[in-house]
Amino acid sequence: MTDMALGAAAPAPAAVPVAAVGYNEAVVRKSVIAAMFWGIVAFSVGLYIALELTFPALNFGLEFLNFGRLRPVHTSAAIFAFGGSALIGSCFHVVQRTCRTRLFGGDALADFVFWGYQFFIVMAALSYVMGFSKSREYAEPEWHIDLWLTIVWVCFAVVFVGTLLKRREPHIYVANWFFLAFILTIAVLHIGNNLGVPVSFFGAKSYSLFSGVQDALIQWWYGHNAVGFFLTAGFLGMMYYFIPKAANRPVYSYRLSVVHFWSLIFLYVWAGPHHLHWTALPDWAQTLGMAFSIMLWMPSWGGMINGLMTLSGAWDKLRTDPGLRFSVTAVGFYGMSTFEGPVMSVREVNALSHYTDWTIGHVHSGALGWVAFITFGMIYYLVPVLWHREKLYSTRLASWHFWIATFGIVLYVSSMWVAGIMQGLMWRAYDDHGFLQYSFIETVAAMHPLYLIRALGGAAFLTGALIMVYNLWMTVHDRSTEPQTAAKPSMAGV
Amino acid sequence: MYLKASDLLVGLMMIGFGILGLFLASRAIDSEMYLFGLSLAGFAVLFVAGQARRVYGGARSVAHD
Repeated sequence: MTDMALGAAAPAPAAVPVAAVGYNEAVVRKSVIAAMFWGIVAFSVGLYIALELTFPALNFGLEFLNFGRLRPVHTSAAIFAFGGSALIGSCFHVVQRTCRTRLFGGDALADFVFWGYQFFIVMAALSYVMGFSKSREYAEPEWHIDLWLTIVWVCFAVVFVGTLLKRREPHIYVANWFFLAFILTIAVLHIGNNLGVPVSFFGAKSYSLFSGVQDALIQWWYGHNAVGFFLTAGFLGMMYYFIPKAANRPVYSYRLSVVHFWSLIFLYVWAGPHHLHWTALPDWAQTLGMAFSIMLWMPSWGGMINGLMTLSGAWDKLRTDPGLRFSVTAVGFYGMSTFEGPVMSVREVNALSHYTDWTIGHVHSGALGWVAFITFGMIYYLVPVLWHREKLYSTRLASWHFWIATFGIVLYVSSMWVAGIMQGLMWRAYDDHGFLQYSFIETVAAMHPLYLIRALGGAAFLTGALIMVYNLWMTVHDRSTEPQTAAKPSMAGV
Repeated sequence: MYLKASDLLVGLMMIGFGILGLFLASRAIDSEMYLFGLSLAGFAVLFVAGQARRVYGGARSVAHD
């Protein structure tokens, strides 16, 4: 069977009438709304803490507005609240459509996954501003909140795997493989990294089961794979479903997508030690992490090429479909940030880039350019489908969103690249007598204009997201978007 | 019969979480655990109320059809 035939086989028109299946769309709709809500929260808090770094007086002397407490609110809201809600929604949508069956476990279990996850997010955010944190990056919640997330996540896995098992299609579409890897690996990472000993069953404080460099390695085994399996594998599942749907084209090479999947999940789990270059971690472990990071170029770029080439013969749609424009630009950013990451993992480059704002720029080219853009593309596609609308309220507004957000990313990322390289070079500069040429505060002062540009970039990105929310609100509520034909629109093959 | 086994199981699970939340809050030694316990109990009550509304509200609307 050819690649094209295999690719066409997965998202083909329904053999089983949708009315006979009765998909659970309510939980997908709730997830889309939650993703938009948390997106606005994440971008707003991000903008606020960017302004705090530029103008420290914005702390107002209040401990709950301190950068150290709001920073995890921003990262958790962006990754787990915005990204997680979008992923739960797209997993539930895609697995039902490609398996042609309703979610396993009934509406109650799907509702528990959705609302239980929202409860986790709110509890985590409240604990950060109250000053409770494990101080582990992207794993800040204390033990009781971790346990709650474990319960919710196991139920998520039960719903997803159960739906796969009762599917009415012989084939498991590749997007579901990426979603499955995302769900199962995150479960293992979350449990492994958060193993700890609570001080009391009735108190929030706990201590890690690991210590010293082992603790650091476990943390970055988790931290890097949170990027690899939450922010990459999950969103690649989104890419493999929504780009072919929006472009109305089969995946360029289904065989390449399968190679992409297996090589990505095999290589990613070894790359964590590159976060610990020049530390007490043994050299061989650092080199291992670096080597596997370099090897990640191959699957990452294979996947990017597969995503982009899916548009072969449909490139003209980029002019008329802003949602697809978001998705394709996201794939471009995916390629760019997965090129930059391995470069930064090289020990000599890392000597310059580590602990500087270059890392912040790298993370945001992935988070804003890849994760947020592919999510926006998914949302622009899904909202008319889920609310049975014929079209978006305004493609012009969606287009404005695209350009304003792209402008914001360019400002953000370029300012952080300049800031990071400047920081790194200033920290390592020596004078003729062998003394450090710059004091630390001189490097901080040098960052000020670049921090201002970064905040402007964040403001532009937030503005674009607010335009999206308005546009989608009107799409759902304005009569101009209602289907013109009297018959209910067919959802077959959606 | 509109009440499915999954509704019943999830509902019972939430009742268990609600009681656990009250237990944690009653013996909490810090503000975070106190807040978490009370919130868990409140979340469980709201979730079960929403479930009841969905299950029996749905039953009513079908009965009227």
